[in-house]
Amino acid sequence: MSEARIERQQPATGNLLLVLVGLGMAFLLFMAMLGLKTNPGPIYGESNMLYVALVFYAGAAALYMGFGVSGIERYVRLASISTTLGLVANTVAGGHRWYMAGHPPFSNIYEMLLSFVWTVALLTLIAEKGYGVKIIGSITMPLAVVSVILMQLMPSEVRPLVPALQSTWLHVHVSLAMLSYAACAVSFALAMMFLVQDDMKTESFQLLTSLGMAGVYAAMLLRFSSGDFRVIAYDLARKAEITNDQGQRVFVTIPDLGWLVVLVLVSTLVPIALHFVARQSRREAMFNNVNRAMFITLALQVVMVAAFVIRVRNGVYMAANAAAPVPTALPGSPFILAGMIGSIFAGMLYLLLVWRRSDLQRMLPTTKVLDQVTYRTICVAFPLLTLMIATGAYWANQAWGRYWAWDPKEVWAAITWVVYAGYLHTRITHGWRGRRSAYFAIFGFAVVIFTFFGVTYLLSGLHSYAAVQ
Amino acid sequence: MKSLWQKFFRALANPRNGIILLLVVVVLMAVGTFILQRPTSDPATIERAYSSSTLRVLDTLQLTDIYHAWYFVALLGLVCVSIVFASLDRWPKAWRYYARPYRRTEPHFRAALLHKALIPVKNAGTALEAAERAFRKAGIPVEREMAAEEVSLYSERHRIAEFAVYVVHASLLLILLGYGLGHLRGYSGFMMLPKGESSNRMTIQTGRGRTFRLLPFSIRCDDAKQENYTVREMISGEESSANKLDERILNRETEMPKQYWSELTVLEDGREVTHKRISVNHPLTYRGVRFYQSSMGASGKLDTVHLLAITGGNAESAKDVLLSPGQTVALDGGYKLALLRFVPDYYVLDHEVFTKSEEPDNPAFQLSLTGPDGKETKMWLLPSLLNMTSEDTPIKFQAAVRTTEQGAAIDMKMVPFTGLEVSYIPGQTALWGGLLLMVLGLIIVFFMAHTRYWAVVVKDQKLGPAVWVGGTTNRNRARFEQDFAELVELIKAELAGGAGKKPAETKKLVKA
Repeated sequence: MSEARIERQQPATGNLLLVLVGLGMAFLLFMAMLGLKTNPGPIYGESNMLYVALVFYAGAAALYMGFGVSGIERYVRLASISTTLGLVANTVAGGHRWYMAGHPPFSNIYEMLLSFVWTVALLTLIAEKGYGVKIIGSITMPLAVVSVILMQLMPSEVRPLVPALQSTWLHVHVSLAMLSYAACAVSFALAMMFLVQDDMKTESFQLLTSLGMAGVYAAMLLRFSSGDFRVIAYDLARKAEITNDQGQRVFVTIPDLGWLVVLVLVSTLVPIALHFVARQSRREAMFNNVNRAMFITLALQVVMVAAFVIRVRNGVYMAANAAAPVPTALPGSPFILAGMIGSIFAGMLYLLLVWRRSDLQRMLPTTKVLDQVTYRTICVAFPLLTLMIATGAYWANQAWGRYWAWDPKEVWAAITWVVYAGYLHTRITHGWRGRRSAYFAIFGFAVVIFTFFGVTYLLSGLHSYAAVQ
Repeated sequence: MKSLWQKFFRALANPRNGIILLLVVVVLMAVGTFILQRPTSDPATIERAYSSSTLRVLDTLQLTDIYHAWYFVALLGLVCVSIVFASLDRWPKAWRYYARPYRRTEPHFRAALLHKALIPVKNAGTALEAAERAFRKAGIPVEREMAAEEVSLYSERHRIAEFAVYVVHASLLLILLGYGLGHLRGYSGFMMLPKGESSNRMTIQTGRGRTFRLLPFSIRCDDAKQENYTVREMISGEESSANKLDERILNRETEMPKQYWSELTVLEDGREVTHKRISVNHPLTYRGVRFYQSSMGASGKLDTVHLLAITGGNAESAKDVLLSPGQTVALDGGYKLALLRFVPDYYVLDHEVFTKSEEPDNPAFQLSLTGPDGKETKMWLLPSLLNMTSEDTPIKFQAAVRTTEQGAAIDMKMVPFTGLEVSYIPGQTALWGGLLLMVLGLIIVFFMAHTRYWAVVVKDQKLGPAVWVGGTTNRNRARFEQDFAELVELIKAELAGGAGKKPAETKKLVKA
């Protein structure tokens, strides 16, 4: 393992990356300019601005990562400028959508992602300028890019709200949710950086990353049925999920894709097994094999994403609970895509850590500062979380006459709240600091992820699956 | 006996045990999200999802209704008790701290304080005034503390912050109390009311089927309407301007509901008590029972049907007739038309018309035409068979047809019914009050710190006369350290300014 850490390259002069990123962004923006004529609507319209934001965020992400790798300060300055420009474009996009729809952009998952990306970009700039956590952009900006790409896949048209959703409380509720979840995401990034700075072993990061990857593919395995892989049927023309006569979701079965999922799951488990073998044998050299296994699983995951995109994009397949073959499309499986891309992204961050650990540690603030800032971020997130649950309950009470129905989403929101309450308790009354607190913050964000994605994807999936049988 | 009680108290007052209890509750909550719950999913779904033996085990363990299981409620209760005991346990100390703050600066206190600084002075007589000025400049309110042998400065802010933790825990209890009240005494269900009818019977859906409950008063539905989005509202502005769609198309209604509303009247012993138009998100509340607009639909009853009266086989001269059940309409030439019977979905057996279902998608109408001579002809109009009465009458009838998104349909209006969610949930004042209190408490906990400062002129063994400054805070120490350092600098500047000399050398004794 130490060999891997020592494998250090000479810092590049830094101009090459700047030229590459600059040229890439210029090219993308130029192509967009050419396409403008065919695209009706004003130039400041939502789709154009979102594209501009994507280009700037991607540029910022590349530069932040470049800073992470090379440590050249100039990259951060340019990356913040790029982030700021992206944020401006993002704000215009959100504002335009608000104006067109006549309500704040919080009513569906597309609009929520729009707001989430905006909050993440804002918090990144605040953490960077206000607290000097420069490197944070290399975690949050790729997250923003993934979210914007996901948004491009989702149905984006402005739809009027069904009666139950026509309430100011809903907007307040969802915006609070986005703010608090974004704060939780930032606290997670800070806690991870704390662990890097606190000299946590690179192997432990490997275990954490591998467990996350294995979690994603284990969750995907729920859609496995005798070698096939089931995804939600989706009508691209109507931009809606396909349901059968009973109003249940239709799942199409993609032949043989399930085996690939199993293969990738096994490949994510191999580094975990090797990790424990290496730990037992107490031989440093064994960890090189672990890193090789990480490479292999990452490569396989890229293949998996490619295969998934090829098979799911505009595919027509048989479905278990529908008579005729039905189509599906990428927007029908946003959570699966997000999970797979997120897993690859986590693996890449791990590789960054393996190669550039000492540079990272040189650039990060002290452990004391990181620990404090993590705590302060959660101090902001927790009241927001409380208010989010309160406004959600108030809205439910107004719309349906019950403030708490023990719906899975509600229950998991409450669990998130209790976990963060636990973080604060152990800190305030039991004096926990450092590692243990950081683990707690990471666990808290894992619960947030489950509440945000898992409950929608797994639990409703589980329930509708049970209904089909 | 007393020792047992004390053991119980001690065990629950220990925050560690409280957290373990809470952990168990959280695990049970999580488990509940992975098992279909009786109150929220319908019985048939549950029976399909689990085998009967599994279901029996789940039911016996109350896992299919975990959030109302006795052990879950008991655990929540224990968590509450634990919060109360832990708070009671700490209360005397906290109260002493609050009621009798330590304002003096005795040597042993000065030695024990974490944040302190010693600033040597030349003129001990005016040093305290200079320090007081510095406090004012820093915006820290300060008062003089007189003791027998010395005068010192004391400053305190946000003492209430020491109590915020109690506020947060009290609010949690209040929320759980409110929930408990609603859980024990409340009920909720639904009501289906066709327009013009009244009822006091509500249906309660439980995990094992439906039960009924009679309200102490009745509700009458005077009117119910569904408003749909127009085409214009459904498409975004860009598209409509780009495509220049026809105004008539833009103003047409779609099937997408925009708002439901109902006119409701409360009847007590047949007397009209109150009246309200409710819509989604705007309920009616009467005697604590709330009525929410939840759905809207067509009942199997006919409101009006649009017929065409054709005289002498000439379809061009067809006249529109709007007919309701039990109503008689006068036609040209002294004829009278009445609707005797309406069948929403019919079938014919032995030349008799029977009702097949209540779905109004295959209707039959029995008409009665009375001539000027008083001779009555009864006839059936069966549009799905032949959309024209077959009896040999001078005026023949046909059902008007309108085009909808699903194709052609008979132009008739059904009596609408309104779907109401009915709920009586007491304890809401406690619940919402508790939530509000919790947010306030949390804001105080996280963003307000109880800070105190002391200053006194002392005679140090090494430095001679000096101003001793000390301070403490209960949270956010990083910020406090900054503030404290700034205050010390200000005092130094003030002392130097007062004496007309450059700032004296300081020896800071701040410990990490």
